[in-house]
Amino acid sequence: MTRKLAVTLIATLTASAYAANLTSSLKSGKAELKSAGPLAFGPEGILFVGDPLGAQIFAISTGDTKAAKTAEVEVSGLHEKIANLLGTTADQILVADLAVNPVSKRAYLSVSRGRGPEAIPVLLRVSGGKLEEVNLSNIAHSKVALPNAPSPEAKARGQLLRMEAITDLAYSDGKVLVAGLSNEEFASNLRSVPFPFEAAGRGSSIEIYHGNHGRFETNSPVRTFTPYSIAKKPHILAAYTCTPLVTIPMSDLEPGKKVMGRTIAELGNRNRPLDMVVYKKGANHFVLMNNSSRGVMKIQADGLEGFESIKDKVADKAGVPYETIAGLKGVEQLDRLDANTALMLVREDSGAMELKKLALP
Amino acid sequence: MLNAQPPQPKIRVDGPPYVFTVVESSVLVRLRNPNLAAMFRVSVDKPGAEPVAGDHFADQGTLKFRPRFPLEPGVTYRAVFSVLTESAEFSYTVPKPVIQRTTVIEKIFPSAAKIPENQLKLYVHFSAPMSKGEAPKRVHLIEEGKGEVSLPFLELDEELWDREQKRLTILFDPGRIKRGLVPNKEVGPPIKAGSRYTLVIDADWKDAKGAPLKEGFKKQFEAGPSDRTPLDPKTWKLLTPSPGTREAVVLDFPEPVDSALLMRFIDVANARGGLVPGSVALDNDETRWIFTPSENWVEGKYTLEVLSGLEDLAGNRVGRAFDVDVFDRVEKPTAESHSIPFQVGQAPEAPKPTRP
Repeated sequence: MTRKLAVTLIATLTASAYAANLTSSLKSGKAELKSAGPLAFGPEGILFVGDPLGAQIFAISTGDTKAAKTAEVEVSGLHEKIANLLGTTADQILVADLAVNPVSKRAYLSVSRGRGPEAIPVLLRVSGGKLEEVNLSNIAHSKVALPNAPSPEAKARGQLLRMEAITDLAYSDGKVLVAGLSNEEFASNLRSVPFPFEAAGRGSSIEIYHGNHGRFETNSPVRTFTPYSIAKKPHILAAYTCTPLVTIPMSDLEPGKKVMGRTIAELGNRNRPLDMVVYKKGANHFVLMNNSSRGVMKIQADGLEGFESIKDKVADKAGVPYETIAGLKGVEQLDRLDANTALMLVREDSGAMELKKLALP
Repeated sequence: MLNAQPPQPKIRVDGPPYVFTVVESSVLVRLRNPNLAAMFRVSVDKPGAEPVAGDHFADQGTLKFRPRFPLEPGVTYRAVFSVLTESAEFSYTVPKPVIQRTTVIEKIFPSAAKIPENQLKLYVHFSAPMSKGEAPKRVHLIEEGKGEVSLPFLELDEELWDREQKRLTILFDPGRIKRGLVPNKEVGPPIKAGSRYTLVIDADWKDAKGAPLKEGFKKQFEAGPSDRTPLDPKTWKLLTPSPGTREAVVLDFPEPVDSALLMRFIDVANARGGLVPGSVALDNDETRWIFTPSENWVEGKYTLEVLSGLEDLAGNRVGRAFDVDVFDRVEKPTAESHSIPFQVGQAPEAPKPTRP
C-alpha cells in the first residue's frame, strides 16, 4: 500500500514537474503584441501567437485548460460581430488565423483592428457562441525574438524595410516550428525554436530545398505544414508556395543543415495551400487541406513512406492520391475541433464570413 | 412644476481618449454591488449589436465606461443607461475628418524597361502608409494585344509590406517560374519573352487613412529571355575614390540587381575590418551601386563585403542559380560573403630588395 502510494506520488510529481516547467517559463504582465498572425496551441492551453511586425513569437497561457461546458463554436456574420465588439466597422477587421484549443474545444482568432500600420492586434475567443476578447493586459506569457535579418546587426542600412511574414506555426514535442517569408530574399526560412523559450533561443534556421522531378533543385519557402508521424518517426508534412507537398524528417531540422524535402505530391497549378489538418477515420489516416482555388482536398496519408519521390514528368495531379471534397467553397481557415469534426472559417458567396463545423470526410 | 418627473440622469462623452459618463443619477449611490455592465451599455448603433469591449467603473456618484479601443471616426455609438426608475440614452458620432487624396506611387523596382521572363518580384514604393488586404484586386498585369494576364502573382494573405506599409513586395507565382513544376509546364511563366506588358495599379487603392490614391499608376516593360546565371563577382567593375575626398566608390554590374538587397547586402570595410559609415544610392536601372562615405577616405586598403544572398532580378545568387539543374550543375559552394579588395591612394611601395 505504502509502496503503491509512493509510486503514485512519484508519478504525480513527475507530471507536475513537467507541467511546472512549461508554465513557470511564463510570467504575468502585459503581452505587447505588435501584430497578431498565425496561431498554434501547445500543451496546457498555451497559445503560440506569431507576431510578424514585432518579429517575435508569444507563448500565452489562456488558462483555458478544461473542456468547455458548451463548445458552441459556430458564428455567423463573424466580421460584423467582431466589429461590434471592437467598436468599429466590418471593413476594418482582418482575421489572420483560427486555432482550436484541443483541450477546451474553444475557437481562438487572431484579428487586426484596422488595416494600416497602426492597426491594433486582438485575440478573440468564441465561448458559448459569443465572442470575447482575450485580455492581454495582465496575462502569463513569454516571448522569443526571431532574428530580423541574416546580415549582422550593425547593418542598419535599409534594415527597416525588411520584414518577414510568418506563414505558419506549429508546436511539436518541446519545439515551436515557424515558417517565414521575407519581403526581400526569396528563400526558405523554417525555424525550430525550443520551448520553454530561452533568452538567446532564437532557434535554428533551416534551408529547405525541393527537387523538381529529380532535376531542378530550389530553395523555397514553406507555406503551411503540420507535424505528422511517418513510419513511427516524427516528420513534418509541408506544402510550398509553389505547390509541391513534401515530407521532411523532424530529425533533419538542424541548424545550418541543407534539408531536401521529399516531394510526394504536386497539387496542381494556380493554387495556394492554406491549412492542413491530420485525422484518422476508421483504420486510415488522412490530411484535409484547404486551398486558395482548388477547394478542400482529402489526401490519403497512410504509408507515405512508401511513395516514391516524384521524379518524372507528371500530369496535373501526381503522387499521393487525393480527392477534392465537393460542395466546400471559400474555406479560408481550417483547424481540427475533435476526432470527427473540423472547424472552418468560410467566406460565403455574399462575402459574409462564418465559423462552421465540418464532419471530417 | 406640479407634474414634474423625477430628475433623470444624463450621459455625456469626453475625450479623446473617449469616456462615456452617466451623471446626475440619484439611484446609483444607493445601490450595493451594482452590475455596472448590465445597467450601462455602449454599442455601435446597429440593431442587435452587442456592447463594445471596455471597462466600467463607478466614480463619485457617476458611472463611467471607457471603451478598450479608440472610437472610429464616422461610426455612431449608442449609450443606454437603465436602472430602477432611471434611464437615459445618448448617441455620439466621432466627426470624420475630410480626407484628401494625396498618396502616390513614387517608384516601382526594377526600373529597367526590359526584365527577364523569370523575373521574381516587384517592389512598389508609396509616398505614405497604405492599407492592408487590398493588393490582389488593385494590381493588374496587361499583355499588349492580349489583355489581362490571369493570376501572374502569388496571392498571399500576409501581403509582404514593410513596417510602415509604404513598400509592397509582389512575387510572381514561383510555381510558374520554376522549371519542372506542374504550373510551369501547364501554364508557363507569367510573362513571356518578346511580349510587352503594362503593370496597372488602380487609383481606388486606399491608403492607411482611408483615402484612395491621388492617381493610378502604369509601368510598361518588355520581357526578355529568362536568366538562370548565378551572379559572378568576376564580372563586376569597381571605380575607386581618391584619398582625402568623399568621392563615391562605385560598383557596376553587367545586369540589374535586386534593389532592396543591393541597398543592404554590400558593406565597405577598412583594413582593420571595421565598417566604413556612409550612404548608398543606386543608378542605371540598378546596375550601379554607389557608396558615399560620411568622412574623407584615408589612404589604405579596403574591401567590399558582399553577402552571397544578393540576388539578381530572377533570384540568382552569388554562385547559385535560382533553380539549379542538377544534371548540369555549375555552382560551387560559396561562403557567406564575398570580399572585393580595393586600394585608396597609392599602394605602399614594396620594400627594396637588400643586397646580400
